[in-house]
Amino acid sequence: MPDIEVIKAEAKRLLSEGMVEVVLAFKAGETPLHPQPAFFRTPDDVDELVYSSLNQNNLATYLTRLPKESKVGMVVRGCENRSVNALVVEKQKSRDNLYLIGVPCEGILDWRKIVAKVGEAVKSVNESEQEVMVESRSGYYLVERKELLHDSCMRCSHPNPVSADILIGEPLAESDSNLAREAVEEFEALSVKERYAWFRKEAERCIRCYACREACPMCYCTECFVDHIEPRWTESGATPAGMQAWHIVRAFHQTGRCTSCGACERACPMDIKMTYLTEKLNHDMKEKYNFETGLDAQTKPPFATVTLDDKNRFMV
Amino acid sequence: MAEKPGIALFQCQWCLFSPADQDWVDNHLPSNIYLTKTPCTGRINPLYVLNAIQGGADGVMISGCLPEQCHFVTGNITARRQLEEFNDFLNHIGYEKQRVRFVWLDLQDRCMIQKELAAFEKELKCLGKAANLVTRMKVAEGEQNA
Repeated sequence: MPDIEVIKAEAKRLLSEGMVEVVLAFKAGETPLHPQPAFFRTPDDVDELVYSSLNQNNLATYLTRLPKESKVGMVVRGCENRSVNALVVEKQKSRDNLYLIGVPCEGILDWRKIVAKVGEAVKSVNESEQEVMVESRSGYYLVERKELLHDSCMRCSHPNPVSADILIGEPLAESDSNLAREAVEEFEALSVKERYAWFRKEAERCIRCYACREACPMCYCTECFVDHIEPRWTESGATPAGMQAWHIVRAFHQTGRCTSCGACERACPMDIKMTYLTEKLNHDMKEKYNFETGLDAQTKPPFATVTLDDKNRFMV
Repeated sequence: MAEKPGIALFQCQWCLFSPADQDWVDNHLPSNIYLTKTPCTGRINPLYVLNAIQGGADGVMISGCLPEQCHFVTGNITARRQLEEFNDFLNHIGYEKQRVRFVWLDLQDRCMIQKELAAFEKELKCLGKAANLVTRMKVAEGEQNA
């Protein structure tokens, strides 16, 4: 785990030297399982800053909601750093206005898995490298870290920030990039009927609250296609067609932009699985165009870089 | 299958160079084919394809110009990148891949669109009626969509 005092000292330095106007990070939330995103604007505020593996949100989401020219400091993990890069590529923020405090990430603990393991009323969570100690009303539980990791963090292959201005803590080993591919292939091995049954079961629990959209750093359109009234692109109610169209098109709009942070899934109040959709798209982008989102702040996603060279692939 | 399969045809307005072919598509299409004419295949949003599928089309055919013959230079390639990936994606969640077909039409060709449509219809007949993803509510004539 990175030293929290070093992160705090760096955040304080940025604010007191006037290098940034605001530092994006987490502070303790109302329950131990949900630290909440916070905007630190003065050096004194920074005392509240926390860093733990329970930080569920992707902080890059807030970049597009701050004024475009504002100078922002951020505590970023691997996936957040890649999201920032993707936003810089899409010209939503200038990299010059950002200061990234990088933290190697050991994976986010899924609060749902903790609740499933130890029950409600969690009093505190203490983590070490291998194990997590959860204190709940019914006693203490020592659980292996791997069991509590979020699904997309288990498949993560870039835990280290790729373009941070300063890295706090030791970089971790890059893990196996085949894990995501295996997950996709496992799902594709099912028959068409089974796949559709799974998709239907997941999509039709949706209540159309759009929490996934709000949690996603790449969903920054001021008007989403589902909010359009004239013309109405899809059924906007919680109807089967509307729910399915939302899930399909939301995921498809992330093609070549998703960094597999899994924030959408963690934000979903209905516990709907969504990463099996975006993982497929990421997998295809990697296979077909050798593109991974956010590894640098220059490469445009495949759908934005069309060349006539493609014709050989399509002429069959 | 007694009934003919319903086909949604998305056609780029430039891809049929011959006036006879264009006239056939505009005025003499069989009743099971529903035509949507677009300024370029690049104009076809994946949502249109999804709407056609959800509305009960058994197959979707997208016809565009050959690469390098696009009126807007790269419109067809753009479309192909997106729609091909969209098709793969639909297949991932349980929609038969064969139900979406792309055709390149050469400006020199004559009577190709009829042949392509007939071949596609034949294949769709073997596949049977589409069941997955057909969820859109039926809308009565003249009524606004929900």
